[in-house]
Amino acid sequence: MNDSISLAKYASLFQDIKAGDIMKTNVVVLPADKKISHAKEMMKIKKISGIPVVDENKKLIGIISTEDIINALEFNRINEPIRNMMTRNVIRFHVNDPLVEIVEKFETYKFGRFPVVDDDNRIRGIISREDIMHGILEKFNLIYIHDTKRSLTLNTEYSFITGERLKMEEAAFTYEIDSNDINAAGTGAALLKKYLAGKKFDAEITRRVGIATYEAETNVVIHSKGRGHIHCFIDEDRIMVRVVDDGVGIEDLDKAMKEGYSTAPDYVRELGFGAGMGIPNMKRFSDKLVILSEKNVGTQVEMIFYLPSQTIPLM
Amino acid sequence: MQTARKINDSEVAMAFTVKDIIQALNGEVLSGEDKIDTVVKFVGAADMMSDILAMAKPGQLVLTGYTYPQVIRTAMVTELLGLIVVRGKNIPPETIELARQNSFLLIRTKQYMYASCGKLYMMGLRGIDERQY
Repeated sequence: MNDSISLAKYASLFQDIKAGDIMKTNVVVLPADKKISHAKEMMKIKKISGIPVVDENKKLIGIISTEDIINALEFNRINEPIRNMMTRNVIRFHVNDPLVEIVEKFETYKFGRFPVVDDDNRIRGIISREDIMHGILEKFNLIYIHDTKRSLTLNTEYSFITGERLKMEEAAFTYEIDSNDINAAGTGAALLKKYLAGKKFDAEITRRVGIATYEAETNVVIHSKGRGHIHCFIDEDRIMVRVVDDGVGIEDLDKAMKEGYSTAPDYVRELGFGAGMGIPNMKRFSDKLVILSEKNVGTQVEMIFYLPSQTIPLM
Repeated sequence: MQTARKINDSEVAMAFTVKDIIQALNGEVLSGEDKIDTVVKFVGAADMMSDILAMAKPGQLVLTGYTYPQVIRTAMVTELLGLIVVRGKNIPPETIELARQNSFLLIRTKQYMYASCGKLYMMGLRGIDERQY
């Protein structure tokens, strides 16, 4: 799978993200009159490959990269001021640049990171490749994986969100979904909610887990025509719920994400479901949501709910 | 006479219990009798389960025309105070049974949806979108 193709796909899905939304704001900068050796030490300590160079008004005037440092070492100029060796023609983003342009620049220039400036060319942040992914996840709490990796991951037991290995037999809570009995839909979610309430989890979290799981479970019953399970894993900082089935899969996840879109048959609608709110509701009530689905293979929903007073970075 | 609009929200919150609402709608309690002295803070109406899941708030009383057992599970998972089934609908025994097992408040009124909502609104009861706090 080609990186640029998947990046471009994300870009079109998340058009309204701006550079300012995803940039890191705690950016390391250096004035141009500092020595190059200073920049070298800074890069070593901070483990970064480039440092934006600014003037006294914090305006971006250049960037010094590991390549410039190597050149300085080679020509024994390491004690000269940064301005003598820095790259002056800096490719930069404006805080309002849309994600599509950001991705394009990454593809065109192949640099690891780009500085972000405002209207006055003052440095406001920096964006690396990972920030794009983080930005998408942070803003939309969702990632849609639709590539060849999907079929590989469908039968593994790794978290899609955190990457950690999950042992199904170690789940704190497991429920087998009976997809032949529509009247039983929601029973697993109700039991999970009761279980969490019994463990004295925060009431709001318990409620959110209950609702999101209810929607996922109902989807298995209504749509999958297969067997399904609910697994809940509990960590000190978060609750993870996975709802998996081996059914028909979701044909068009882009559409399924949209509120009001539903493929539910009439009899399901008469039962009060099929309003096209299932996946939007899962997204609404979880902190992170990943759905992997393949036609005739099945669907896996993974949701993470962070416990209160935790601000956990994604990766 | 004081109009509904002039009633302060917090006064409304104090003002009506489930019993008042049952009286206003001439309703019958099918389950959850122990809740009838509970104060009703806000009310809503929905037939789509996903709409309840998306929008309802804990403690809300919801009017619905939906009678299958899922409505009870939906209401419990969203932590509603209770449900009022309108238009005197026939409620499947499984639904009533599920409600009773969980002592969940289930009321039935012969009033139609529109009139039921109108009467409660006139009393000063508000939905989640008009709550002030």
